[in-house]
This record gives sequence, structure tokens and C-alpha cells, in this order.
Amino acid sequence: MSAAVTTAAAELAGSRRRGYAARVLRGTFLRLGARVGAVWIGVLIVAAAFAPLLANTHPLLMRVNGELQSPALAYLGTADVVLMCTFLAAAVLLLARRASKASVAALLLTVAGSALLGAALTDPPVLTVYEQYREAERAGEIEWAIRAPIPYSPKDYQRDAGDTGLEAPLAAPDGRTHWFGTDENGADVLSRMIHASRIALGIGLVATGIAMFIGIAVGGLMGWFSGLVDLAGMRLVEIFEAVPTLFLLLTFVAFFGRSLYLMMVIIGLTGWTGYARFVRAEFLRLREQDYVQAAVACGLPLHSILFRHMLPNGVAPILVAASFGIASAILAEAMLSFLGLGLVDDPSWGQMLNQAVKSSTFNWWMAAFPGGAIFLTVFAYNLIGEALRDAIDPYLSQEKAVQ
Amino acid sequence: MITYLVRRVLLMFPTLIGITLVVFVVMASSPGGISAQSLIEGQNLEPAAKKALEDYYNRLYGLDQPAPIQYLRWLNNISPIGFTFDADNRLSGFSFVKGSDLGTSFKFGRPVLDLIAERVPITLLLNLLSIPLIYAAAIGIGVRAARERGGSFDVASGGIMLALWSVPTMLAGILLIGFLASEQHWHWFPTAGLSRREALDMPFLPHWHHARAGIALLGGMIAGGLLLAAAGRWLPRRARVAVMGALGGGLGFTMASALPDGGGAIVQALLILTLGLALAAFANLAGKGVRASGFGLLGILLGAWISRLWGGDEWTSGFLADRLWHLVLPVVCLSYGGFAFLSKLVRTSMLENLLSDFARTARAKGVREHDVLWRHVFRNGLLPLITVSAGLLPALLGGSVIVETIFSIDGMGKLAVEAVKGRDRELVLSLTLISGFLTLIGYLIADLCYAVADPRVSYE
Repeated sequence: MSAAVTTAAAELAGSRRRGYAARVLRGTFLRLGARVGAVWIGVLIVAAAFAPLLANTHPLLMRVNGELQSPALAYLGTADVVLMCTFLAAAVLLLARRASKASVAALLLTVAGSALLGAALTDPPVLTVYEQYREAERAGEIEWAIRAPIPYSPKDYQRDAGDTGLEAPLAAPDGRTHWFGTDENGADVLSRMIHASRIALGIGLVATGIAMFIGIAVGGLMGWFSGLVDLAGMRLVEIFEAVPTLFLLLTFVAFFGRSLYLMMVIIGLTGWTGYARFVRAEFLRLREQDYVQAAVACGLPLHSILFRHMLPNGVAPILVAASFGIASAILAEAMLSFLGLGLVDDPSWGQMLNQAVKSSTFNWWMAAFPGGAIFLTVFAYNLIGEALRDAIDPYLSQEKAVQ
Repeated sequence: MITYLVRRVLLMFPTLIGITLVVFVVMASSPGGISAQSLIEGQNLEPAAKKALEDYYNRLYGLDQPAPIQYLRWLNNISPIGFTFDADNRLSGFSFVKGSDLGTSFKFGRPVLDLIAERVPITLLLNLLSIPLIYAAAIGIGVRAARERGGSFDVASGGIMLALWSVPTMLAGILLIGFLASEQHWHWFPTAGLSRREALDMPFLPHWHHARAGIALLGGMIAGGLLLAAAGRWLPRRARVAVMGALGGGLGFTMASALPDGGGAIVQALLILTLGLALAAFANLAGKGVRASGFGLLGILLGAWISRLWGGDEWTSGFLADRLWHLVLPVVCLSYGGFAFLSKLVRTSMLENLLSDFARTARAKGVREHDVLWRHVFRNGLLPLITVSAGLLPALLGGSVIVETIFSIDGMGKLAVEAVKGRDRELVLSLTLISGFLTLIGYLIADLCYAVADPRVSYE
């Protein structure tokens, strides 16, 4: 009896120690939808981190004239090194199950260290001739080679094989294997999709981060000061809401040119109003609470009251909005690329989707695979967002029926 | 009420100025900005001709002036009251009746007002067709999901709606065009535009060369519709599922054989299975009214198809039928996302009210469940829908950018893409103004509807 009581008390203490955020996360990932979504995003993250090892024309390892070479490693850029190192470090930390400030610091240190290391060690040749390996192989110069699972780089247009544009999956006449077919320039679609997952994930995270930052700052100030600041801030929110987002995005991109980083900033700049409204409402409510009054009475500085005491109590609903926000940022990038205002030569899902109807025929593989990838990614984030919302507010969810 | 309206309309002006200012600042601060050079960029011209063209554009549109002046000039031009200028662009006076002028498009060389007057009705037509569809379907599904909370319909519709909401518009549009409109698969719908060239010369309504064909078509549609609607409404569940499953299988087989190469065994089997299962599931799950109308519609289509096989093609489709035929795919594309989003919202808001005290009280005093749902709960559940409807219009305007581009419809969305790509200052600003205005009007109407639906809200 007493033993049972002790265990229950220990459990209670444990659940208390775990904190609100951890409990919400646990509640989220207990749901099937969130798990499915997380698995797909995990697959994408792996593909994004190890893209150069998964899809590359350069052999991973080969033996030419008696000496071992690794062209794939030689062609790695700094970004590739940083992504791989960060992924490995994050995986180790996740397996060790230590979520603390120290592990965040360790992760940041890895990013900085690998960036330095990458900048110092990598020196990818400026000119890339993809045909050289296939020609060397035909000439019998390569003794043996270990190739990437998809032996085509995203920008390998296979000029040596003649016109390879828009071949249906597995329909290449001369023994080449393109699982998802080729695009209009003759590059392998699967390879381009793997490399494009970097852009999709990056844009989703960074753009949403920017939007959240602006939204929390503006909304927090509006909610705290209210009065005149609130009035002016709400007009600003209204202005940004009354222009159709896509229209504003189009204007930005058409006039400022196309670059990945700019696109992240722009999608962030056009998507902050929802967060601002949310944080404002939350802060207007929290302002009257005792603990906030106590913090004010203690004479804490404003940023401490706003962001250390009030924000953590209103952060859970913002995370829901952020999850849906990532989905819509990915959609926005895909739409821009689809309209021909995206990145020029770099692979992107939306730009590939555009090629499905560009020529007079309908190329189903250009629609099904890249479009399917966009759909799955957006769906995954939406699933996680919904599970998060149900975990925060289980009152209306589908799982607990009344009758 | 009148005071409130006037205040709201007056408040629109600063917001509209803010909107155009944001867009103008974006344009003016971009590298290259809006200048005569950027307008003639890419044209292969002699230096002298280039200079002359630049001067011409500068004189015509005032592009060599500083950006703030350009913006103020534009504001002055569009406002009906303002300063007037003489032929040398010097201030000549102040007028209350000078009339507003949206300027001339750089790219098209035509007055912006004409362009917009041509394009806005098309976009509005698309949106006004979509909105009732969205609401009708969303309310039907959302209310049922809320009523059967936690049941199989709720869980299934929840998952399907979230998935539907995640389908990018361009993917849906491309797949619809690729499979239902291209000659490689089923060439049922037109691929582009809003009407065929010939249809412009046709009479408004369809008509037949022989009365026989017309009567056959009408009779076939009525008979098919009534027959299937009755079958969907009154047949017992087992028989219903069997009949509809068989019908779906038959349709699948017909579709597969309509493919240019006959489809092959796998495609055939896949189509028969999918369509058969889909119709059987519909017959099993849907409620009485939905079933009857859904199968009635299917019957009408089937009747029309069969009587056309029998009666021949001797008819003129007419302008209306042709236009509707062109609108089917774009409207589907435009509405499915909003419908999925809205049906989840309907479910949540209905559920909140179904679990509330007033609903329990109504049940306790013996009100019929039907009346509790539609008279007590639904009225209250409507409120969040009205709030959201305000945001639906800008979303639809944005969505029409993609839909109009995919389906080559010359509406406002496509014009917007062309305008920003061509760096067309007047057109971009005017489009911003118009879409911002439509959006604000949407907000205003939503607020007014709110007062109608909820007697507690008043704007006195």
C-alpha cells in the first residue's frame, strides 16, 4: 500500500519535473498522425543532410590506375560538411536523450566548428565535368568504383547520352536507370528531388523563424503597451493582411531578384501577422495575471518580463501556428517556383512541377513525384500541427468521445 | 448603424494608402527599381533610339522623378479631388472635379481601368461560384463530423480534410488538366480559357436541330436523375451498396476503355476497383439527403451521356453551357482547399456549442435533437464561420493567381503575375488597390453579417 503511494508520488513528481513543454510534446507524439508526419520529415532530413552521398555522379570511391580516389568527397562544399556534421551531432544528442542548454551549445559549437573545418578543408573544383566518369568507364580506365545509390547529380544533364529530356520513369533506352524519369533538361528527377529537399526544409524553418520573431516582437509590444502602440500596430497588421500574401510575395520576388536567402526573408516578412495577433491577444490576457504583476513589482527589466516570464506561458499555441506556418512557407516557395519566380538553376520541387505541363504533352512523372513530395511534406507538418493542438487542448479532439 | 458604416469606410482610406505604400516601397527600393532603363531592358536598340525611348517613358510616366514624388503624384492621380497639372507637368491649380485616373499600363499600353474592368469580373465570377460550394459542402461535412464525434465518419473525414487541405493547388490543377483534359487520357474538359472561340457566336442557351434529340436528352436526364436519386434514397443498405458498387465498376471499365490505348489490364482493374469502392463507400456512409442528391446528379450525367449516344450530336451547346463546361475544373481547384479548411472549422465550432450548457438545457426540456442541432447549436456555431469568411476572399484572390495561370484564364490573378514580371508600376499599384479594397469590403460585410447573426452584437 505504502509502496504504491510512494510510486504514485514519484510519478507525480516526475511528471511535474518534466515541465509543460515536454508534456505537450509527449502528448503530441503519442498520436499516430504526428508520428507519421515525423517519420516523413525525418526521411527528408536524412535526404537533405546526406544528399551528396545519396545522389551524385561523382563516384564515392574508385580505383584509377592503381590509386584510390574519392571524387564525391573532393567535390563536397562547406554547406555539405556543415549539414552532415550537424545532423550527426544532433542524432547523437537525441539518442543520448539529454535536452539541456549544454546540448544546444554543443550543437551550435558543432555548426561553427564544422563551418570552419569545411571552409579550411573543402576546395571543390569550379568546373564540374560530369561526363568524365562515364567516359573513363567506357574507356576502361576505372578498375572499380562504388557509386552513389542514384548515380546522377542534380545538375548532370547527361550531354554525353544525347537528348535525354523528359524520359518517363525506367524508360531510358540505353541502360540508364532513372527511377523517377528525367526533367526537360535531361537531369535525373529523383536526384533533383533529393537535393531540393534541402531548399524546402530550409525555407520552411528559416522563413517561419523570421515570421515568428517579427510577430512575437510586434505582438508582444502591442499586447504589453496597448493604447496607441496597439492601435498603430494593428493598422500595420491590417495592412499586411489586406494584401493577398501571394501578391505581395510576387512583387517582392519579381523586383528583388531570385536568391534563396532573400526568398526566406520575404516569405518570413509576409507571414508574421498571424503570430502578432496571437501574441497580442495572449499578452493582453496574461498582463493582468499575478505573476506578471509580481515581476513588474520586482523591478525586472521589460525584456525579462516579456520574453522570460510571459512568453513561455503563451508559447504552446504559437508552436501550433508555427507548425502550420512551416507548411504554408513550403507551399509559398513551391508556388513562386511554379510561377517561374523561384531559383534559377537550383532544383526545387515547385519548379519541377511546372515542367509537368510546360511542353504540350502531360508528363505525369513530373507532376506525381515532385508534387507528391510537396504534398507529403505539407501534410506532415499539418499533421504535427494538429496533433500539437489536440495535445494542448484535448477538449475538442476526435479521440475522446463523450457518448 | 450609419455612423458605424461611415466610420468604417473612412478608416479604409488610411489602410488602403498603407497597402499601396508598402507595395510602392518594395518596388522603389528594389535594385533597378522602376525606371525607364528597366522598362526597355533586353530590347536590342541603337544607343540613340534607346535614349529617345527612355526620354519618352520618363516624360510619359514621370519615372525620372524621386520616388516619394512619384508616389504622391500617383495618389493625386487616383484621387478624384486634387491638384491639376498643365501640359509641362507644372502645378496649375486645385480641382474638386478632376476625376480619378488609374494611369496607363507600361506593358500593355492601355488604360489600367480598361484592363481591370476586363479582368475583375472573371476573377469575381470564379470566386463567387466557389464560395457557396465551399460553404455548402463544409457545413454538411462539419456538422455531421461534430454530431458523430469520435465515430468513424469523424475520424475519416478529419484525416481526409487535412490531406485535402495540404494538396497544393498547382498539383491539383496539373493533375486535373493532365488526366481529365489532355488528349493523352480523357479529353472531357477543355484545357484552357473560359470559352471556345465558336461559342462566342452561339446563342446563349443550348438548342437542338431536331426536337427529338432535345426531348431525348431532357428525358434521359430526368429519368436517370430520378431513378438513381430514388435508388440512393430508399433502397436498403446492402442493396444500395451492391447496386452502386456495380455501377462504379461499370463506370471504371467504361473509363478505362475510353483511354487512347485501352489502358491495359492493370489500369482497368485499378479504375474498376477505385470507382466501385468509392461509390459503394459513398452509398454506405452518406446521409439520406446527400445520398439522394449525389446519386441524382450521377443519374443526370449518366442519362445525358446515354441519350447523347442514342440521339446523336445534333445540337449547339450555346454560350452558357460552354462557359460552365470551362469553369468546372478551375472552380474545383479553387474551392477544395477552402472547403477542407472550413469543414474542420465548422466541426470545431459546432462541437463547442453541442457540448455547451444551452444545448443540454434544450435537450433536457425535450426539444427534438434535430431542432437542438439546427435551431440552437447551428446559429451559434455560425459565428466563427462569418469571421473566417472575411479572410476567405483574400485567400481566394491569392488562389486565383495559381488557378488562372494553370488554366490560362485572363483574370486578375494572371494580370497580377504579368504586371509584376513586367515591372509595370501603374498596373501593380492599381491591382494592389483593387484587391486591398475588395478585401476590406469583405471584412466589412463579414462584420455586418456578424451583427445580423448574433443579436448581442450591435454597432449602435
